[in-house]
Amino acid sequence: MSDCINLTSEIRERGPGGGGRDGFEACVAAALVCAAGEETEVLWCQDRKGVLTGWCRLPSGGSLLPAARAVAELDGRLAMVTAYLPERAREKGEREIAYHFDLDGATLTLTVILPLQWARVPSLTAIFRNCDWQERELMELYDVQVVGHPDPRRLFLDHSLPHAPFERLVPYSTFTNAATGKVLWDKVLAGEREEP
Amino acid sequence: MSTKLIELGPHQLALEEPMYFRVKLEGDRVADLDVLPGQVHRGMEHLVMRRNFYQNITLLERLCSLCSNSHPSTFCAAVEEVAGITIPERAEYLRAVADEIKRIASHLFCCAVQANVIGETALFRRVMEVREIMQRAKEAIYGNRMDLAANVIGGVRYDLSVEGAAYLARQMEAMKQPLDELYLQYSNNPALLVRMAGVGVLPRAAAREYAVVGPVARGCGIDYDVRKKSPYGAYDRLEFEVAVQEGGDVRARNLVRLAEARQSVSLIEQCLAQLPAGPLCADTLPEIPAGEAIAKSEAPRGELMYYLRTDGSDMPVRLKWRVPSYMNWDALKVMLKGEPVANIPLIVNSIDPCIACTDR
Repeated sequence: MSDCINLTSEIRERGPGGGGRDGFEACVAAALVCAAGEETEVLWCQDRKGVLTGWCRLPSGGSLLPAARAVAELDGRLAMVTAYLPERAREKGEREIAYHFDLDGATLTLTVILPLQWARVPSLTAIFRNCDWQERELMELYDVQVVGHPDPRRLFLDHSLPHAPFERLVPYSTFTNAATGKVLWDKVLAGEREEP
Repeated sequence: MSTKLIELGPHQLALEEPMYFRVKLEGDRVADLDVLPGQVHRGMEHLVMRRNFYQNITLLERLCSLCSNSHPSTFCAAVEEVAGITIPERAEYLRAVADEIKRIASHLFCCAVQANVIGETALFRRVMEVREIMQRAKEAIYGNRMDLAANVIGGVRYDLSVEGAAYLARQMEAMKQPLDELYLQYSNNPALLVRMAGVGVLPRAAAREYAVVGPVARGCGIDYDVRKKSPYGAYDRLEFEVAVQEGGDVRARNLVRLAEARQSVSLIEQCLAQLPAGPLCADTLPEIPAGEAIAKSEAPRGELMYYLRTDGSDMPVRLKWRVPSYMNWDALKVMLKGEPVANIPLIVNSIDPCIACTDR
């Protein structure tokens, strides 16, 4: 683990824009190998403006937490979490969740592959506080259980909507009707009752 | 001390969009906060997977009014990244012009609303009057006061004629003195200082913990602007300094916005001066292959991020975006803690919240 800590200070000094692309990429790759295992590989792409984007498919769901901790030690910021059903998800019985991190301007995406049924991921809220809403949204839109989330209530969706609507056929009008949620209607109805 | 639970809606919060807060009070001070979003959830991320790429440009422009150009331009950048499309240089500059025009109008709207919330009606009118210069510029150039319809995959779908550019340059000239005056007002006016300085403080450590972005982060001394950190479009050729303030309070956030509005004027002037001749859009577009891409931009409220996944068809397999307000809401817990109830509307408006963007 001491190697990983050395890497952290090195990456802080170099940064994606500062001390050369190769060194930065090597630091991130080494930190992830250190945390998530030998077979962890990051594919880096650089656009015409020099902005780096790294893609890493984690070897197992179990390596998500250590990999996320490694990114946190590199001063990474969780930028977004995307759950999705990839192409031919039902045939393959697989789903994916992509965790996008900011590393001082570079974006690193860690993707975990999960079973379509009974998918479970650990919550990253203990490492990245702002993962709270991201995971609450993911849990209500997709059939994924986030283990250890401190507040697993619905975030956006009204309770009249079915669970995991992004995996079901839900009429659009149901979505939009539900948008005027219970909190709002409670107030409207309370107002009507008060009128003489 | 008595503990009370109150619910605040858009009317009490002085918001023009619906958001509800459940606030725990100890005496007249805020002890805790629960944000209840979802009142305008429209399933937009569901809809975009059932529209083709072109339809999505139009749909995403209608996601939010104040940052309506950031969504389609960032989405187009994601599609262009997947397909390896290079947009013409002129289009890069014209995208930056559209983004900066929207930024000035958005920042001024936020500052105006806050003046209104604290009863400074004359200032509110003054800021809106200055903003009107931008609204008219949008109307003249794009034919619309909010949605500019400026973007298309591979470039832009509007041009600036010589007359148009000269007109915009005159409008920019007209913005300079009022923007400098507003900066001084928000910086030094005692009536504003007493309401905004030291109010709604977000310490820098908390800003990092809550991962806030945009003027909220820069108001806490965090030097992060996507235009600098991950340059896109024309921004690698434009000069500007990231506006940073140390206070972390309502005043600091507004000073960041007003400094940025002034810099946007300079950015637009630089674009007009450097605007190269040439096409507005890549002439032939390839098929959009299967792939995935990330695109980021600095929207008026901060870092906007798009993830696009395609399968070779003309509809996205997944299109996900995370708006800057998303994290900023949660940080209100820190900003509001210990504040009197009377300060809640001002502090909430000081993060320049966007509800349509958050709920989607």
